Amino acid sequence: MMPTIKVKDLRKSYPKRIPLPFRRVEWVEALKGISFKVRKGELFGLLGPNGAGKTTTIKILTTLLEPSGGSAKVLGYDVVSQAREVRRRINLVAEGERTLYWRLSAYENLRYFSNIYYVPKDEAEKRIRELLQLVGLWERRNDLVMGFSRGMKQRLAIAKALINDPEVLFLDEPTLGLDVQSALFVREFVERLVKEKRKTVLLTTHHMAEAERLCDRIAIIDHGRIIALNTPENLKRLVSEGETVEIRVRNLRPEKVKEVDGRLAVSEEDPTRGTLLRGNLDEEDLPRVVEGLIRAGAKVLSVERVEPTLEDVFIKLTGRALRD
Amino acid sequence: MAFLAVMEKEFRMFFRYPLRVVSSVLVGLVFLVQFVYFGQAVLGGRYSSILQASTGVGDYPTYALIGYVLWWVSVSPMEASVWGIRRELQRGTLESNVASPMGLLEMVVSLALSWMLMDSVIMAVVFLTGVIAFGVSLSWFALLKALPIVGLAFLAFLGSGLIFAGLVMIFKNIGPFAQIFEFLVLFISGVFFPLSTLPAWVVSLSKLIPLTHSANAVRKLFVGFPYSSVTGEVAWLLLLTPLYWLASYALFKWAERTARVMGYGGY
Ligand SMILES: Nc1ncnc2c1ncn2[C@@H]1O[C@H](COP(=O)(O)OP(=O)(O)OP(=O)(O)O)[C@@H](O)[C@H]1O
Ligand SMILES: [Mg+2]
Repeated sequence: MMPTIKVKDLRKSYPKRIPLPFRRVEWVEALKGISFKVRKGELFGLLGPNGAGKTTTIKILTTLLEPSGGSAKVLGYDVVSQAREVRRRINLVAEGERTLYWRLSAYENLRYFSNIYYVPKDEAEKRIRELLQLVGLWERRNDLVMGFSRGMKQRLAIAKALINDPEVLFLDEPTLGLDVQSALFVREFVERLVKEKRKTVLLTTHHMAEAERLCDRIAIIDHGRIIALNTPENLKRLVSEGETVEIRVRNLRPEKVKEVDGRLAVSEEDPTRGTLLRGNLDEEDLPRVVEGLIRAGAKVLSVERVEPTLEDVFIKLTGRALRD
Repeated sequence: MAFLAVMEKEFRMFFRYPLRVVSSVLVGLVFLVQFVYFGQAVLGGRYSSILQASTGVGDYPTYALIGYVLWWVSVSPMEASVWGIRRELQRGTLESNVASPMGLLEMVVSLALSWMLMDSVIMAVVFLTGVIAFGVSLSWFALLKALPIVGLAFLAFLGSGLIFAGLVMIFKNIGPFAQIFEFLVLFISGVFFPLSTLPAWVVSLSKLIPLTHSANAVRKLFVGFPYSSVTGEVAWLLLLTPLYWLASYALFKWAERTARVMGYGGY
């Protein structure tokens, strides 16, 4: 069966300045050749730190950006040469909270988008009502978006993204900046879309637990390259050997960590609670590592064995922690 | 239709705030009143034989009112680009539009047309207020007769103003530059004083501005001249309109391609 999304050796460089004719400009490589396929009905995650190239990938797939090389197809249509065909059949929740019109009401926003997505009028009325009820904003439909909370805005952005009943949905950091309750709503909503409505979803996140819980498969992306791609379970097998530890220390300069042990990474820095180190070590190494830390001048506050997560996979693969 | 959707959205966002509408009308009026009184003070009265001889319209308030109202509408597509499109670029709503099957070109043209129509509503109020305040003799028949020329002028304004749509997508903060341009147009297109008072090279330059010809033609028709008296102006408009549309389109296509390489945000 044809994959719903097919990305092959995709590359993207951004010019550092406006590329005027007859002007030489330098380019920044944001994607250095990534490839992956997403099947119909799959919930696929792109996980990576800031600047990894997640948004760039989404923008290319949603026809907002032109790739510098390689190819990308969505539902069999090329995202460059058949952009219009792609646009009709997909939708996205973009990064940030200003993707809707704040000076229009929730209802007016959805009607506007239903029009520019060419949804037939009687169909649109019905769908807007359904969607607003689904995201719990029907009662607030006539209020301006301006007065909405961040969570409400995001729920409306999701309703907007479903206005053309898309086959494929792209979500760029859909829970970023949301309170716990709103984030939970978004996750469960997306999960249901895939399970009950058989939508194909590609989402980006740098929230490990989210990726792990939601996604059928995850591509870990770093510096414009996919460094691992598998199901969450299989990815975690990479760190199933040995033991994963969290060591909380004080008075340790971050650059010293690697000198003590290359497998450790700084996963959290907190001025009051100290620095949290994390790593996947061999069982017999632990005493030596702790000793090393003390010798490096650190005050070790606690050592704890923890269940490995995707964060440990990322640390193992890159030597760095993927911080929230 | 997507065009109607864009228009409805723009109208809603503008007319939702009555205070803003009223203040637009007031700004329009204050500006106009200043110029009319200043002009009359210089001329030493409302009638000028020089004006009559060089433009066919001797009554200064009539002369200034028509030019002014058309000027305001003529710079409207430019304002739509440098403020309206720019605002959507900054906020990310532009990308929400680009990602839709509507296409950016349709959205940009619709937006500019919407702003021009909104400004027309405001200028209709200013015009009628001006007619009453300055005792301009108004013939509904002459006004009706001028409508086809106004329509043609709108097409020309849209074409020339959309040049800024392409520019704003790439150079972003060009509002202040556009403002200078607006006032330049105001002064060299003969809105408040006849072109014959300006140096010859400015007069030649003014021929490239659609407002010059539209204001001239509408004034003549307004005071009762026949269509045959405005063939020169109409010819100029028919020549300039496709040229400006072509230039705008080429620039827009380049900007769109460049934006798809650089990203629409790019701040
Ligand atoms: N419009 C642009 N112009 C120039 N460089 C850009 C542009 N957009 C992104 N970049 C660069 O490309 C790289 C990838 O950025 P991208 O936004 O895709 O990362 P991301 O994974 O989405 O990060 P984040 O988690 O911060 O959203 C970064 O180095 C970024 O600085
Ligand atoms: Mg991003």
